[in-house]
Amino acid sequence: MASVAEESQRPRAARRRGGGSIIPALPAAAGLVAFFLVPLLVFAVYSVLTAGLYSVSGPLTLDAYGEAIASRVNRTLAANSAVIGLATAAVTVAVALPIAYWLRRSARRLRIPVVFLIIASMFASYLVRIYAWRTVLGSNGLINDGLRRLGLIDEPLEFLIYSRFAVTVALVHIFLPYVVLVIYAAMAPLGAGLFEAARDLGASSRTLWRRLILPLMAAPAASAFLFVFILSASDYVTPQFLGGASGVTLGVQVQVNFRTLGNYPVAAATSFLMMAAFLMCYLLSALVLRALRLHDIRFVN
Amino acid sequence: MRPEPLPRVRLEEVTHRFGDVTALDGVSLDVREGEFVTLLGPSGCGKTTLLRIVAGFERPTEGRVILGGEDVTRTPAHRRPVNMVFQRPTLFPHLDVFENVAFGLRIAGVSTEEVRARVGDALRLIRLEGYEGRRNYELSGGQMQRVALARAMVNRPKVLLLDEPLSALDLKIRLEMEAELRRVHRETGATFVYVTHDQREALALSDRIVVFNEGRVEQVGEPDRVYRNPASPFVARFVGDSNVIAVEVTPGDTVRIAGRAMPAASDGIAEGAAWLVLRPDVVRLSAPGSGTGLRGVVRDVSFRGTGHTYRVEVGGLPDPIKAEMHEGGTFELEDEVELGWDPAASPLLPRTPDEP
Amino acid sequence: MERTQRSPFTATVTALSLLFLFVPIAVVVLFSFHSTGGLSFPFRGFSLRWYEEVFSSPEFREASVNSLIVATATAVVTLLLGTLAAYGLSHSRSRLRAPLALLFFLPLTLPGLFIGLSLLVLFTEVQIDASLATVTIAHLVYVFPYFLLVSLAALNRLDVALEEAGADLGANSWLVFRKVTLPQVWPVLVGASSLAFALSFDEFIITFFVIGADSTLPMFIWSTLRRTVNPSINAISSLLLLVTLLLFVISFVLTFRRGRKRRGVIGGEELMEQALAGDAIGGRT
Repeated sequence: MASVAEESQRPRAARRRGGGSIIPALPAAAGLVAFFLVPLLVFAVYSVLTAGLYSVSGPLTLDAYGEAIASRVNRTLAANSAVIGLATAAVTVAVALPIAYWLRRSARRLRIPVVFLIIASMFASYLVRIYAWRTVLGSNGLINDGLRRLGLIDEPLEFLIYSRFAVTVALVHIFLPYVVLVIYAAMAPLGAGLFEAARDLGASSRTLWRRLILPLMAAPAASAFLFVFILSASDYVTPQFLGGASGVTLGVQVQVNFRTLGNYPVAAATSFLMMAAFLMCYLLSALVLRALRLHDIRFVN
Repeated sequence: MRPEPLPRVRLEEVTHRFGDVTALDGVSLDVREGEFVTLLGPSGCGKTTLLRIVAGFERPTEGRVILGGEDVTRTPAHRRPVNMVFQRPTLFPHLDVFENVAFGLRIAGVSTEEVRARVGDALRLIRLEGYEGRRNYELSGGQMQRVALARAMVNRPKVLLLDEPLSALDLKIRLEMEAELRRVHRETGATFVYVTHDQREALALSDRIVVFNEGRVEQVGEPDRVYRNPASPFVARFVGDSNVIAVEVTPGDTVRIAGRAMPAASDGIAEGAAWLVLRPDVVRLSAPGSGTGLRGVVRDVSFRGTGHTYRVEVGGLPDPIKAEMHEGGTFELEDEVELGWDPAASPLLPRTPDEP
Repeated sequence: MERTQRSPFTATVTALSLLFLFVPIAVVVLFSFHSTGGLSFPFRGFSLRWYEEVFSSPEFREASVNSLIVATATAVVTLLLGTLAAYGLSHSRSRLRAPLALLFFLPLTLPGLFIGLSLLVLFTEVQIDASLATVTIAHLVYVFPYFLLVSLAALNRLDVALEEAGADLGANSWLVFRKVTLPQVWPVLVGASSLAFALSFDEFIITFFVIGADSTLPMFIWSTLRRTVNPSINAISSLLLLVTLLLFVISFVLTFRRGRKRRGVIGGEELMEQALAGDAIGGRT
């Protein structure tokens, strides 16, 4: 029944300005090529060179990769990194969703102040946060001290500090504001009309999450998840201060290999193996989203 | 004598306030089974608020909502046996047309085969078979609104609520969609409650029209009645776009208007102040000469394809008189004309002497 | 009128999360005023001794000055190169747009560890000695995508019609930029470079690798952390917090200024949403 009039109702594309030159962007591009791409390239070459002490030399070899893969220590550390990364990513995304929903659908006049607070919390320095959590989670720290005074425990809780738990808590603290803002921004197109339409069709609150919010947020949530996963899995500072023996990650090992042991090729190889793993995660995520038909959501009107 | 069947929708003394603003004031209304009722009025008159109260998106400050005999005032929206078509289609962007239409059925746990059958019927109803796999960005505005209609109807709601569903569409599509809506209403026999500010639409679609003004019902009746016998100056101006003129009723079926005496149908109206309702299509313009009509000058002419619309300035009247003529000669700007009308088609309404 | 939905669950989560985010920081600040050297309750009185200790430390002063230098350099260079890049990307239909955008935003996806290491390797190979300059270069690579994200969102949001009107009245590109684009967009640019300053001032992860003998404030904190644990660290941290918070407030006010909603002026909320949702990257092709 498509009539002539219907055809003319196609969504109009936004007008794009053109006619300008791309040249102003080139100086920055040159800088990034010189100080981002080239270094990565050189680093990649390092991974296939022979190791000397704090130096590299020819001939080309894949020994570094072999060593990195074969190492049992690396496998444990990789597992640690993965666990910390997944836990951090999962917690931040899981917490960010309700917060973003509240900001969008319930907050009213509190919305702007709370968003402001969340953005403000992003600028507490990285090291300051790690230090803060050490004092909060330590054996004489805020939590243990408080619990002891309340008479709830006699001995300090061990798992709180120098553990993967502590590393995860600190990393969540670091990444939560960012993830909240990303998910909050991504929820912008979900107008009241969408929610009302769903409720009108019989959706309870639980159904609303299952059939409307989560599918629509799948792509941005996956993107945020990956971002947090990659950055927290490769973090090398937090584990050093809060991880103890069980919380060491691959990032720490890379750093140790490079600075302490002077084994450049292995450090490089491990780094690139990590990057390859991350790339596979991106691909996997894209495939899953595509399979679920959640990858090309476009909001019209 | 057979008892009156239960109204499908009953509103009892519904009042709704937003802060100090009263959107609805003691509205009571019955909608009969299978009727097509339109809530008509200007923006801000409360009609959309009332619809949303029936849907369950707002809880009335006072009053009750009863659907098919059951008091649903406290029932949340997602548990009411009504469905709504919104002003903007708001199709779910992550689902294709089929899954959009099936949404309510899936929530209700309907079996896969039945879902397929009912969605197929719904798509046939709106004449979009074959569009099952399309996504929202692959549809035009009119198509999206039709899918929204199917998405609501497929649940077989007792009452379908429509909130100005055609206002976002271009005129040509709107006219086509009006025909579609009438057809769907006929074929399904459902009860439709429709909201619009477009009186032409209301007249074309409805079994009954409820005219709203500032939170109150001014008139309820069949389109014909509301059009020809408005209950108040507001309804006259809003629905028929009529000329509403302050006159004095004098003995012998006459009125004094603009200093002249003209014949009028004054049964039921006391002598004294009154409003004369002159529909533009009732006013006749002629060349000056007979002396039986009001004298005026044409100040505006617009051509409408089917005829001309004139605005004639008449001495002694504050506003120009609108006249629509389809035949009987044309007039031009600044022409002197005489206006006449059939008194039987021009009702009188009571007026308090200092009403503006 | 946006209709709202009551939701006690999500409200609770939000409240608890805000506590989670701020309590540890508040504790750090609180104990920076501790009269004793202890870091746990009970709190035994206020004192400014740790601040005195910190301010009297020459290493602290030197590190702070270094951080200031690097951050200022980073902010200025980012402002220049970033504004040019944002302008180029938003005003051109060149086929290079997509690959360039990819290049610009790639550092965001790469952990600092790799950026730092590869830069160190490069500097070693090319025999550039580690210095504040190498640190600045590293900071530029790190900070650039953030600046671009914000400024590109703003430039994309501008009403094309205004610029076309300017051109129609006889102005060339440079004049249009100076007289039409810039007046609308300068608060966002300054806000974004304030952001760049703050990010650079705080940076540790990459700095760790490319720094030489000079110290920046975060490096100073790190080395202090390894040596002692007393409230002097709290004092330094609080000072750092104060500076970054101040910068953030400036950045926020400038970037999200609602002001008078003249046609073409960017509204605060949509700008942030676009920036974060990556609208800046895709533009509207």
